[in-house]
Amino acid sequence: MTGERRLKPLLMRVWEAEGVSLTEGGAEPRAQAAVPPILEIHDIAKRFGATQALEAVSLTLYPGEVHALLGENGAGKSTLIKIMTGVYQPDRGEIRLAGQPIVIGSAAEAQRHGIAAIYQEPLLFPDLNVAENIFISHQGRGAVTNWRQMFREAEEILAALGVALDVRSPARGLTLAAQQSVEIAKAISLNVRVLIMDEPTASLSAHEVTQLFKLVKDLRDKGVAILFVSHRMEEVFEIADKVTVFRDGRLISTRPRGEVTPRRAIADMVGREIGLLQPRAPVKQGDLILSVRGLAREGVFHDVSFDVRRGEVLGFAGLIGAGRTDVGLALFGIEPATSGTIVLDGKTRNIRSPREAMACGIAYLSEDRRQLGLSLPMSIAANISLPVLRRYLDRFGLVRTASERATAEGFRSRLAIRTPSVDVSVAKLSGGNQQKVMLSKWLNTHPRLLILDEPTRGIDVGAKSEVHAMIGELAAEGIGIIMISSELPEVLAMSDRVLVMREGRQMAIFDRAEASGERVMTAAMGQALTGEAA
Amino acid sequence: MNWLQRHIRPEQVRELSLLLLIIVAVLVFGSLIPRYYTSLTFNRIASSVVIITVVAAGQTLVVLTRSIDLSVGSIVGCTAYFAGTQLAAHHGMPPAVAVLIAVALGAFMGSLNGVLVAWGRVPPIIVTLGTLAIYRGILIDYSGAKTVTTDSLPAWLVDLPTVDVATVGGLEIRVVVAAALLVVIVFQLATSFLTVSRRLYAIGSNPEAAALIGLPTQRILFTAFVLSGALSGLAGFLFLARFGNITVEAGRGLELQSVAAVVVGGVNIFGGSGTIFGSMLGAVMIGTLEQSLFRLQISEFWRDAILGLLILLAVASDAVILNRLRLLWARTDLKLIAKSAPLPAREGEVTAP
Amino acid sequence: MTAALARLRSWEGLLLAILIVTVALNLANSPYYLGVENIVNLFQLEIEKIIVALTMTLIIINGEIDLSVASVMGLSACVMAWLFKMGVALPLALLAALGSGVLAGLFNGFWTAYVGLPSLAVTLAGLIGFRGVARILVEDRAIGNYPAWFNELGQQAFLGPLTLSIMIFLALFAVVAVVLHGSALGRLVYVMGNSLEAARYSGVRTKRVKMILFVASGVVAALAGLLYAARLGSVRGDMAQGFELDIITIVLLGGVSIFGGSGNLVGVGLSIFVILNLRNGMGLANITGNTQTSVVGALLILSVLVPNMAQLIHNRWRGRET
Repeated sequence: MTGERRLKPLLMRVWEAEGVSLTEGGAEPRAQAAVPPILEIHDIAKRFGATQALEAVSLTLYPGEVHALLGENGAGKSTLIKIMTGVYQPDRGEIRLAGQPIVIGSAAEAQRHGIAAIYQEPLLFPDLNVAENIFISHQGRGAVTNWRQMFREAEEILAALGVALDVRSPARGLTLAAQQSVEIAKAISLNVRVLIMDEPTASLSAHEVTQLFKLVKDLRDKGVAILFVSHRMEEVFEIADKVTVFRDGRLISTRPRGEVTPRRAIADMVGREIGLLQPRAPVKQGDLILSVRGLAREGVFHDVSFDVRRGEVLGFAGLIGAGRTDVGLALFGIEPATSGTIVLDGKTRNIRSPREAMACGIAYLSEDRRQLGLSLPMSIAANISLPVLRRYLDRFGLVRTASERATAEGFRSRLAIRTPSVDVSVAKLSGGNQQKVMLSKWLNTHPRLLILDEPTRGIDVGAKSEVHAMIGELAAEGIGIIMISSELPEVLAMSDRVLVMREGRQMAIFDRAEASGERVMTAAMGQALTGEAA
Repeated sequence: MNWLQRHIRPEQVRELSLLLLIIVAVLVFGSLIPRYYTSLTFNRIASSVVIITVVAAGQTLVVLTRSIDLSVGSIVGCTAYFAGTQLAAHHGMPPAVAVLIAVALGAFMGSLNGVLVAWGRVPPIIVTLGTLAIYRGILIDYSGAKTVTTDSLPAWLVDLPTVDVATVGGLEIRVVVAAALLVVIVFQLATSFLTVSRRLYAIGSNPEAAALIGLPTQRILFTAFVLSGALSGLAGFLFLARFGNITVEAGRGLELQSVAAVVVGGVNIFGGSGTIFGSMLGAVMIGTLEQSLFRLQISEFWRDAILGLLILLAVASDAVILNRLRLLWARTDLKLIAKSAPLPAREGEVTAP
Repeated sequence: MTAALARLRSWEGLLLAILIVTVALNLANSPYYLGVENIVNLFQLEIEKIIVALTMTLIIINGEIDLSVASVMGLSACVMAWLFKMGVALPLALLAALGSGVLAGLFNGFWTAYVGLPSLAVTLAGLIGFRGVARILVEDRAIGNYPAWFNELGQQAFLGPLTLSIMIFLALFAVVAVVLHGSALGRLVYVMGNSLEAARYSGVRTKRVKMILFVASGVVAALAGLLYAARLGSVRGDMAQGFELDIITIVLLGGVSIFGGSGNLVGVGLSIFVILNLRNGMGLANITGNTQTSVVGALLILSVLVPNMAQLIHNRWRGRET
């Protein structure tokens, strides 16, 4: 490997509009020599509380092969990866490495087995320089650091990857793409046998993706087995030798690339269960509450425009990282927009803080209810009153706990929160009940616009339908609702209209009539629709 | 500009500018104070800085791991006193043994801190607040409120602060100063080149990642505290040599001064970055200001006020300026990459921030 | 009711047990121990520290720390002394001294809440800087000769056997108890200590709350400094030096977590009693003041170490869980 390779622009594939066409066929599949598998995952299952994250999953990875993993958010992909890297232990099942059964008890053990993972967010030491980051976990490099040699070796590895980086700079200052290259360099330097890449391209530009793919192909040619998780269909079909689809914790299909098309893959991802959720009965919609035009936050999302009426549920669909939460945070003033207009009830507003948003009648339920949405050690009643504590003060400034409790009791019955008392600490509640407490808290602020961010994430089916029913009632009361959700069935059943985002851009707004699972998913993945609608 | 950015990092810029500041301060004071540029001034400043420099070196090691050691003042007091009583009782004790006693005692006291932090998982601020009191209490009880007096000490010790190791063109370099410099050089080299000490930085920079990678975090934390104790022991010996009269109050306040030197020297209070050399510069800056203001007949009582302001400025500027510098460096890095393969971005896409 | 019982088994229960033991030991030594006179004397010994411990409790629960309190005590006493020496009427000088506490609090609050610097570093700068300003004013003199009424303020009984200081302590204890456990501000203090981000997401004005707390800490420290000066009858530049350690120890020993978000005033109250009792008992047993400090230091470490070890053993016993 010489150190002076320069990238050839022509190596870059020309992306067709948004990607590969939907017709059958594609590039030639790689000839598969009969090599023994390097990693066999057999009948793995994992449960978290009420959720069965993985069930009867069996997957085989071969050296010198890029194996793509597709699936919606929550389909089980990251759980599988965490099991493979030793973060979680499977409830059952077996893992074999080169034929030998192994137990991966920790991240360090996974590393020793030659299994490495690269995530969307690199796990580097911000204050150490690039070279140190690459070699930090190496044993046996000697007691004294030979800087010159370390820099040289680091530069060699990076050059072999076709990456030009200053190995002396601290990791903190690097772009995300550069940090990822460092992570890959790290894995290579440890002679990785199985490389897992979890959405590595999510924040990269086309040029950076090209570089990355060159790397991936080089690694594959060297005999590394690569598990590649991505939502970008064109990338998957560019790089993968095999395509596996997950849905609801199960492995649905594994096919060689030549035998699958994007359309078929999407169908597997989405399944036939769309019809299971009863569509919400639409209510009569009233005046315009919110009108957003050209909303943008520099570097995060741009050119988002939509309206929300009274009684309307606007679903926000898209993959993780599409920017939906960021739009919600902009409307709520936590991460204000840098340009664009927000018009509420006919008046233009400049929302720069949560208080200002609340004053306009906007409420936001965070997707992270444990860290951001609730104060776990505090009681249900205290959580519910928090944003409007002012209302519960007597003339001395003391909290009228009786009044607070009464409010909480009211919500307890209205939302059917299962708890022995409203004085119980929120930490003790189940996920579904916690969600209801969060909902109560914001309903208590009498909002005109309610932004729900993943309102049914991680809660059981029963609570889910209760939350859905509640949303329906709220719409009927004339509240405008923005529902950010990664669950397609939910989005399709609940929304009057669906706004699809991808990588910070607004892709489409579908009316209820024209919205379908395939349409939404296709837009979310950036596929252009050719031919007739599915 | 490129070469500069290749070889000098923002943190080093910070240290270089501190060095520059010191030089500027010296020049300013030199113009205001008659007979400033003399060996006397140098040694006055150096002597007052010696003890703090050594303590700050140990404090740096601890702070790098995102911890703090508030017991150093008590350790200095204890070791100074203990070494003093031993020397008073055994005049014939070789100097090396005396130093060893102080260092060993300090290391032992540091090891208690280390055990509690690393394996007891008690937050460092709590452990060292506790041992600050405990060690001071032990000192007072052990001493029975008696003082070590200069007359009881062997002559070589009392004369030590004035002994020169070399004279360079009229500038006398004292042994104690050389010793402190040696400590700084040794530990600076160690933290720059020894693999084990690089892990100090890793732990302070990202403790979770360090544990995930499998670094022996507990052992490293323990070692940092032992070293801090050992260096405080050495400083205790130097303290004994300088003052001769050791009361039970010896060393009180040194913990704060050492943290001040460390912070002014550019070491991040949250760990992960900074150097021993920087903390030495911090100590020198503080010492220079103190001595020079004294010469200017500005009352010593201004010293602390200015010191407080200095610390604040150091931390505030670090938060603001260092980040700007890093961004500047990062943008340059980006250009380096882009230069190698220029390509138009896809139309309308969102690029990484 | 079950919540109260659960509490009893917890930290406060432990403190109560220690308290009972120490009181029993002290009683064995002297039957007059629980007499009112003796209790008043007990409190007087450390009254200024325990007053400041009350606002320190708020600060630490909020997730911050204020290392500068002792220096503010010294600063306010020196401001008062300096103005008095210059001929300013004592009441005015006292007022100005309190004002210096406000300024110190604004300083700490500004850099911590609005600029976002770590409170450890900011209040460390304050600790050194405020002490410096105090010494600029007073230099190395000891300023005394205050009017008799001032000296009596600290030492004489006011209401029955209670001195003014003790009354201030009791009043402040009541106020902080009400604020912390009954008012909106108290709620916000806890929420922010648990998670600053979660508080923000609920529309809490976090910067304002932090500023209020630091200013309160500054004012109370200033007040304590004046009480201390009144008790000593003289002001020096280095008075109250090192007090912050005792004050923080009192709060942490009271079960307040250094990481913020938990702890209550009952625990701190018990901790105060325990420490005062310990000191008194040890003093009667002829244990020197500094050994007493050592014991308190050891107690502080044990207060975190023991629960940690218990947790470790508990985890190991139940088997490792992923």
